[in-house]
Order: sequence, then structure tokens, then C-alpha cells
Amino acid sequence: MPNINVISRRGFLQHSLKAGAGIGLASLMNLPPFVKRALAEGNIGTNGKKLLFIFLRGANDALNSVIPVGDNAYGAGIRPGIFIPQDGGVNYGTASACEFPTGLASTFQYANAIKLGNGFAALHPSLKFLAPVYNAGDLALVHRVGYPKQSRSHFDSQAYWESGEPNSVLREGIFYRTLLESGLTSSNPLTGVSIQSGLPLLFRGTQAAMTNLSDPTRYDLMGVPSDPLSGDLKAKNILLAAQNSRFADKRSRPLLSLQYKNMLDTLDIFAGINFQETGNTFVDNANSDGAGSSPYYLFPTSDSKNGGATAAKFVVDTGAYGFFEQLKGAAMILNNTDAIIAGTEMGGFDTHNNQGGITGDHANLQTRIAWAIYALRKYFSNYANKATWNNTIVVTLTEFGRTTVQNTSGGTDHAEAGLMFVAGGGVKGYGKNGRVSGAFGCHTGDPIPWQTGTTGSMYGVSGRYLQRVIDYRSVLGEIIREHLGATSNQINRIIPGYAVSGESLLSRGTSSIDGTEIMGELDLV
Amino acid sequence: MLNEKEFKCRQMKASKFSLSLFVSLLSVSLFADDFSNPPSPRITSVTTVSNAQRQIIFTPYPSADQFKILRSGNLSSNSWLEDLTGVFSGVTWTSPQNSSNAFFQLQVTPLSSNAILTATILSKLTYGPTPDLLARLATNSLDTFITEQLNPETIAENVSLTHTNIDYIAAKFGTPTNVLSATATTGPGTAGIADFRAWYALRAVGADRQLHEILTQFIDNHFVTQYGKDVNFVAGLQFPAGVLQRFGTDLEYRELSRWRQVLLTPTGTFSNLLTISAESPAMLIYLDTASSRGNGANVPNENYSRELLELFTMGVDNGYDQSDITNMAPCWTGWTLEMVATNQAFNVFASKTTNYLDPNAVNKTAYTNLVGVWALNFKVNNHAAYAKTIFGGKIVPARFGAPYTTKTYGGNSTPGLYQLNIPSRTGTNGMQDGYDVVAHLANLPFTQEFLSVKLCRLLVHEDFSTGYTFTDPNLSEEGKLVKACMAAWEANGGQLRPVLATIFNSALFRGNGGNAQKVKTPFEFSVSAIRAIRTSTNGSGMMGSFTASTDGYGLVQSAGGPQVQGTASPMARMGGMVLFNRSDPDGYPEAGSGWISAGTLAERIRYIQSLLLATGVTGKNDDNIFLTKNLTDPVTLLRLRLPVLADQKDAGKVADLFLGLLYPGEGKASLDEYRTIAMNYLNTDDTGANSSPFNLLTPSNVANNIYDTRVRGMVAMLMTLQRFNEQ
Repeated sequence: MPNINVISRRGFLQHSLKAGAGIGLASLMNLPPFVKRALAEGNIGTNGKKLLFIFLRGANDALNSVIPVGDNAYGAGIRPGIFIPQDGGVNYGTASACEFPTGLASTFQYANAIKLGNGFAALHPSLKFLAPVYNAGDLALVHRVGYPKQSRSHFDSQAYWESGEPNSVLREGIFYRTLLESGLTSSNPLTGVSIQSGLPLLFRGTQAAMTNLSDPTRYDLMGVPSDPLSGDLKAKNILLAAQNSRFADKRSRPLLSLQYKNMLDTLDIFAGINFQETGNTFVDNANSDGAGSSPYYLFPTSDSKNGGATAAKFVVDTGAYGFFEQLKGAAMILNNTDAIIAGTEMGGFDTHNNQGGITGDHANLQTRIAWAIYALRKYFSNYANKATWNNTIVVTLTEFGRTTVQNTSGGTDHAEAGLMFVAGGGVKGYGKNGRVSGAFGCHTGDPIPWQTGTTGSMYGVSGRYLQRVIDYRSVLGEIIREHLGATSNQINRIIPGYAVSGESLLSRGTSSIDGTEIMGELDLV
Repeated sequence: MLNEKEFKCRQMKASKFSLSLFVSLLSVSLFADDFSNPPSPRITSVTTVSNAQRQIIFTPYPSADQFKILRSGNLSSNSWLEDLTGVFSGVTWTSPQNSSNAFFQLQVTPLSSNAILTATILSKLTYGPTPDLLARLATNSLDTFITEQLNPETIAENVSLTHTNIDYIAAKFGTPTNVLSATATTGPGTAGIADFRAWYALRAVGADRQLHEILTQFIDNHFVTQYGKDVNFVAGLQFPAGVLQRFGTDLEYRELSRWRQVLLTPTGTFSNLLTISAESPAMLIYLDTASSRGNGANVPNENYSRELLELFTMGVDNGYDQSDITNMAPCWTGWTLEMVATNQAFNVFASKTTNYLDPNAVNKTAYTNLVGVWALNFKVNNHAAYAKTIFGGKIVPARFGAPYTTKTYGGNSTPGLYQLNIPSRTGTNGMQDGYDVVAHLANLPFTQEFLSVKLCRLLVHEDFSTGYTFTDPNLSEEGKLVKACMAAWEANGGQLRPVLATIFNSALFRGNGGNAQKVKTPFEFSVSAIRAIRTSTNGSGMMGSFTASTDGYGLVQSAGGPQVQGTASPMARMGGMVLFNRSDPDGYPEAGSGWISAGTLAERIRYIQSLLLATGVTGKNDDNIFLTKNLTDPVTLLRLRLPVLADQKDAGKVADLFLGLLYPGEGKASLDEYRTIAMNYLNTDDTGANSSPFNLLTPSNVANNIYDTRVRGMVAMLMTLQRFNEQ
């Protein structure tokens, strides 16, 4: 089965060799070159809408996040060491709001699946802080998400999510193309920002630079001597002057030129933003976890800012501080600059070994997801400047789901369909538009029903893997189209699959790639 | 050799402004791409500024040593004369006023091919040029140097003379064959992970056997394991925090030192390296083989099988599919690790050690009460004893051509069929499954291809990929080189050195196409910056005599988490490159796009600025006290190379000296604008706003002296420019 992957790679290689190096997607996709804003169509970047992404690297175990408790195949039989038990006193099958177990002696004392209230699914208890967001109608839980001919390689699959092109060797980002379509990248040096160790593929491309800050608190030069006026200024000015030096083209030079220019253009943009710990003053406007002495900090970057500041009342594990430091940076930049898309990543989801159930590694990671979404809602509501909660969407990405049956290491292996979290004031979730559920793709009553049992959805692919009914491109595409304001022509360029009607990304149909029936866009926003 | 070959291009009469009539003397294209065979420079505009002052702008040319403008009054005549009246600035030539009408022609003299190859060799076979190596290769055979580096056992290794930390740290480790006994209170040896990293960085900076160090890094990164997961493993067995580091460090060091032995062996093969990786306790922990079981109804863990195929041998989707992963996973069940008596370290069937720290302890068999060593151990009861078939019915694709499609593999009689049949095995025989898999994978054409591609990406440029049609008569130069590497592999039973020699002898490696086409990783960047200005002041090569040095810790030591404010190591700051602790099994990226972003470039610049600051001055520690152990003294280097006082005060000569050391492959004419910038730097004060002639300063290498600071600032500036990120 070295099928389409190798063939398309070979085709791509031949193509790129003919055209010489420096080929971008543009020449393959007929993207317009670097349009000026005046000529740009659509409203990306001009309608005030923003997007914050979090990539959950390693592949989140969807079946232990939004748990199909209504599927009798889920349980101790297939996941003896890691399944999430049901609360004997709760009827998960009735419609209601999501339970929010608060006021407990310790934050995560409730040790059963949390009733979601859609009559089928439940939340991992570590996701409890999603409940208020869900109940406000601001959260969509999108289950059974994947793409045709799913790769079970982390690196290929992450690349496909980030490029927006499954089973392609193109290495150019979906958000890069989105921002290029805004027509603003030539006039605004800061359209897309990531806060992580390196620039993600989501933002990579050859015609414009997106910005990655590895540590916002250190985004400054020093100089020799190291002094803001002498040395530092001299060094910066001379780097600017050197930008005009012309050299012959070499393979890495376009990349270096773009990113050097972006650095020099953005070094001073963040001057008014205090990324230091002293600037982390954002707190909840309510007692987050029921009865408590004072509202919690939104971005837990230290023990003293973690929930109630004692181990029992921490809202996230103590290993989460680095992530929240980065998330805070992304949120502050989105809120205080003209950046349109910002985000970060969280690793650790490749839980092959000893992933834990109610507690443990995977549970800890999930506390971070839930608190991040909870906190971002509060931050963009109570501290809104350029980004308001109503104008902002938070979306998570992850490369695939994990095996239905656990392995002997107390973990799960690479599988197929997974889960996306989509949050924002504009999300049409529970209670909005007459909806009784904010979960999508996770019910036996869905347009494409969740089939239960040992021959059901959880075994839908190769008898081992959860089968998709939603394509990740439909979720991202709807956000880019309906929220960020791309036109249909633009979305066809940003996500090439949209231009292929057989892919059924826009509306329900059968994928022409692999014959799987999928839902198309979900009317999430 | 192309030495001094001239490329000419002609330009129509100035007043006509027409473009692009140019003639290349090398019009026969050797290569498909412009990087290997750069187009001749082309005059793009001729303008008259005023009063018949003409300005000619042309396109850049790589490694240009000199540009000349020739003029003639008559296009058809051969009487082209060099026009010496004008001035070059980068790719612009400006005549004096009242220059007469003429036809103009641009001539470029490229840097000699020897000089280009020297730069390439020192960027790829070593961690960057040093002043001494540049001097040596200017007069000695490049091929002799390559041969020496390919055969490191023929070179004396004197790195331990360069810093006391090398032997000091080495003494904290055991050796591959003499493993150290450990207890929960002592740990194996006394080295922590920072010691190991420092030892490693020091070797990269100062080793004579540079290629040995580079290949060590490549192999360790290829067979990636994660120190943090080693630590978690022993922490999970209740080992106390005080010794966790030592256990993790020991496991990482042991696999590394075994690989180093193979790389020192003339006949060392990829199969040898792969076997070491498969047997390494660090790998058994990292990809969860240690906890995988296949007995009874147990579902084996797929993690190692997947990455073994995708990342360590064949390359993603290159000749295997999910069924092969699933079928292979049970082969590895039973491969785990155990704490055994030291004299049983190489007995894979040994029982848990019965040497007890406290023979009277209540639970004396608890791991925390044992004396021994963590070693590979086969647990019969965990193994799936049933027969397995991997790659069932799979045939080598036609794209590989002969001999790959016509030979037989394993016990198969059908040519090209590479099905692997593993019989049912019971008892300790079950361990043979894993060794069968390794032996089968190690020399498959897919593996040859993937490893050859990765070596080419390491040593030539990053645009190599699996999937070439090797039978295609129009195969690209990259494809041809991979094919040649595979032929060398096939002809020599998987030995590494013939494959490497194939690359070093290739036209792709030796020409423009292999020169400065890649981006340095954070490790390569950090180490190369020190090497670039490192010479021994007295020629002894002894510690304390270098014009640039580090104690090792200054590059790798973090006092906090990798991304948390302030205290991260330089390499962590430059993109999260934390040696021996990569969390993703694909290893740290070779491609520049994985490293280069605004934030990481700012960190590269800060590292250079800290490095060039004098000891004890503000900013030297840059929020990490270990950075004060990275020392530089560019003025002493300058004095050695420019012994005449007048030269030391000559901004042009000082700029030329450092441009030559930092950018030996670029050529003077290509560096013209950098030279102007460097001279401007030397001739302005610390704000850059006011003139402060360099020749009025008195040379000194004392910290905070104006001359010393000026030179340090200029060198730092040159190292923070785009080109220094390239190799």
C-alpha cells in the first residue's frame, strides 16, 4: 500500500525539479500572487474576527475525552485499565445541561464520567471546566473527525492537518493561506502569531512571513555593549541595513530573508504588552469552582496562580505552567495587536503507555484543555480589547484518535477519527438556535448515527478504529469561511478539497476519495 | 577545476537600456537546478544618474570573488577594456560623471572551486571552520582531509587537552563494556545529564575527529530516545529523586558510546547501529517495548514497530503498511529491561539481581533495595510465541530497478519478494524474532534509500526525498546521488563509510549546489560560532590558550525548564533543541523551516551577542549564569593574524580578516556590502550614530576598552547576519 502517498510525492518531486527550487503551493494551486488589500476579496482581517488555535500534539484519545457512555461496547472490556466509569446514580441517557461538579473538597474529586446531557456522551472528569462554556452554548464538541485515507504517522498526519491537504506532500500552512488571502500580509507584519518553540507548518509559506515567538519575554536584542541605546540600537540598525545586501539565491535564503525581515519588523510591536509574570494579573470574575475564597487566576503559570493555590484545589497539573505561559502570550497578542490568528501547541498526547484513567497523564493533559477554554472565554470577555469573546473562536487540532481497545502497556495506539473542541461567543452550541446539544457526531440520533456495539462506529475501520463522519477540513473551513470571512473562491484556494465537490466538505455526502459518508459543514458558527 | 573561470555577460549600449543579452561561457548545463549551476550574473539596469554618470545594476552571483566592468566603443570589436573609473558597491557599479557612451560588459571571477569545497568540507564534515583549519586546508589536500575524517581511528584525538572538563566528566561514566553498578542511593556513576551534554558539546567544539562527532549526533538523533522518559521509568519504580538523573544519563550514554565504537570501526554497518538501538534500554523505554506483552490475549504495543519502520529504517509508507506494523508488534514482546547483577549485564536472560543493599530489608526484592545495572532482558512469559508473517506478498517496486527487483530477500525464492516469515518460537528462542526483524530491515532497498536520503540531507542539502524512480533515465541529480549511495551500500554489505565517501566524491557535494545551501541547527550554530574565532594563542592546543572557548555547560545548561523565562540553555532558547531529550521520535529537524522563526532568530542573535561580550560586562550572562563560561577574545586572534600595528588599526583589513574567517565560501565580491557594513561599524561609536574613526583607537583586548568593544561588536554583528546561519 505505498499508494497515493508515494505517487503524489513523486509527482511533486518531478514538478518541483522542473520548476527549480523555491516552489510554493502557489504555482500548483494557482494562488494569486501576493494580492494587495485593495484587490482582496472577502473580509478576512477586516471584520474584527479572530482565531486562536491549540494543536494537541501526539493525538488525543478522543474516546476518553468525550466518552460514548451510551455505546455498550465502551467500558472495562476494551479498556480495563483506563476506562472512565459511570456514576451509578446518574442517568446519562436523558437530555439536560452538562453537569458541573463544583464545591468539592478537591477540584477533581468527582471520579466518574460527567453527564454531558445530550443523552449519549459524557465528559472525562478532568474536563469539568468545559461545563460552564458548554452550558452557555459557546462550545461545540466535534467527535468522529478525520479525513480520507487516514495516516497513522504522527508527522504525516500533523502535516495534513496543518496544510489542509490530506495525503499531500505540500508543506504550506492552511492558516498561512488564510492570512495571505486577507491581503494584509504586505502591510501588516503581524497577521499570524504562534508562541512555541518553532513556527508551525500551519503558518509556513514562501510569500509572506508569520511570526513565531519562542519566549515573548525575551523578544529583544542586546547588542555589544549590551545597552538599549548603545550597542542594542546599533546592532538593530545595522541588521536593518544588512537586509538590503543582495546575495545569490540559495536553497535556504528565501526562508532566512522572510523571517529576518519579520523579526526586524516585529521586534517593537509588543512594546506595550507586559508578558512578564508581573503582567499575569488576569482573574476570573466569579468563583470558578463553586465555593472558594477568591476568584482564580485565568492563566496558571505558577503554584500561587493555580486555582486555589493548594494541591487539592489546583485547576491544572503543575506541569502545565509552560503551556499556560505560551497560551497567555498568544491570547494577549491576539487581544492587543492586529494579529488575526494566534495559537500554540501542547504535547504529551501520544499515550502509548500508562495513560491513566480518572487520574494520570491523560487526565492531567485534559485539565489543561478544559481550563484553557474556560479561561480564554473569561479573558476575552472580561479583558477584551481588540479581541472579544463574540469575535473570537478557539479551536483545537490533533492528528488522529487512538485505538478503541487499549494495549498491554495501559495505553492506546494510533488510530483514526478524533475530536475537536470549538469554542467562542459565536459558536452555536447547547441552547442556541434551539439546540439541545453542543456535541456533534456523538449520538445515535445523529444524521449519520453513532453505531453502538463491537461492530459499531468504534470498530468502523479495519475492525479496530473509530470511523469518521466529519472531515476536519469542514470544521476549519466553516470557521475560515463563516467566522473569518473568506469567500467561496477563497476557501477553494485555502482548502483545495472544497473545490472538489466529491469531497463533500461543504455539505453532507459520500466522500469520493474513500466512499465514507460524511456530514459536511455542521453549522457551528 | 573551475578555478578562475570567467563568466561574462554583455550589455547593449548603455543608452538603449535593453536587458538580458548575455552569454555564458559555461552554457552546457551540468545540473538541472540553478543552485548547482548558477546562472551568469546579468545586467538588469543601466541608468544615467546625472551628468552622464552611469549606474549599472546586475544580479548577484554566488561565491563571486571579483566583478569587473568592461567597456568597448564597438560591440563587434574584441577590444573590451576594463573600466577602472567606476566604483562597485555590492551589485551596483557607478561611473564618474561625464562618462562616455559605450557598450558595457560584466565579468565575474568566481571563488576557486578549491575554496568553495574547503568551505563545504568545514561546514559539513566539521562543526564549522576554525582559523587553523582554514589555514591548513589552504595549503593541504582537501581529499586527504576527507579521507582522514572518514577514517577517524587514523587521527590522534587530542580533545581532552582542550578542556579539563572532558576527562573530568568522562570519569563520571562507565564504559560500554564495563558498566557501572548502581543502587538507588548512588546511581550509576556520578554524571548528570548536564555533564553529559557539556562533554558532548566540548567534543563538538574541539575534537580532531570532527566527522565522528557529527555522525554521532546524526545517529543519536536518528535513533532518538528521550532522557526524560528514562527518568520517569526509574521514578515509577520509586527510585529517589536524587539519583534519577544518573540513571537516565547512564542509559543515554551507554547507547551513545556503543554507536561511537561502531563509527570508529572501518567496517561498521548500519545494521550494527540499528541493533544497538533495538537493544538499548533507553529505546525499550522510549517507545514502550518494555511494557508490551503478546502472550495470551494481550494486544502488543505498536509504538516501536511503527517508528522502527517509519523513522528508523524504511521511511514513512515506504514499502510497508499498517498490517506490517500490527504483525511486527508481537515480535518485540518480551524485549524489556531488568536490573541485573553487573556481571550479568550482557546476559539477556539473566534474572533480576539478588544483590541487596540491605539483605534484611522487609521487602528486599524492591528495586530500591537492589544493587546492579539496568540491562536488556528478554522475558519469555511476555512473548507472543506464535508464528508471524510481515510484508506478506510484498514485492520490491519496479522503481528501484536491478539488483533490488531481481535479487531474493530472506528465505524467499521469488525475486523481489521481501516477505518475512517468523516461525513459532518458544522459550528464550522467542527473542530471535526481534533479531530476525533487524537483520531483515537493515539492508532492504527502502532502508538503503531512506538512510541515504537522510545522509544526503545532512551533508548536501535538505531537498532530498524518498520515492525516486531510480530507473528513470532523466533521474534528477539528487536521485542519482541517492542511487549511487545505495549502490555503495549494496556493494559493501551496508558499511557506512563507502556510502559517505560516495557523497563526498559527488559533484553535488563538491560544487555550488552543496555550498551553504542549508541552515545550521541550534547545536551547529552554537558550536560553529565558537569555532569560527577559536585559535590556540601559543599553538599548543591546550586549555586556556584559546581565543574562543566554552566549558560545555555554557551551551547546554539550563537552570529551569526549556521555555520558562530566563534560565533556559542557549540551545533550548533557539528552538527547544535539548540534547538527548527530544520528545517526538522523528528527531530534531534537519530542515531549516523547523528552526527558523522570528523568535528563534532573536535568540540566535542574543546568543552571539552574549558570546562576544567580554567577561564580566553587563548582559554577558543573559539571564543564565552558565553563559558566562563562553569566552571570546577576538582582539588576540586579530593580533595573531595581523601582527603589524598599522594593520590592526585598519578597518578594512580587520573587516577582511573576520569576513574571511566567518564566510570562507562567499567570495570577496559577494561580501562587498557586508564589508562596507563592517567598516561602518568599526568607524562609528557605540550608538552607531556618530563617527569615531577606528584608526584613532589604540588596540587592546582589555574588557570595556573602546577598541576591544568595537572589535567584539563588529564580530558579533557579522555573526548575527543571515549568512552565518548557513552551512
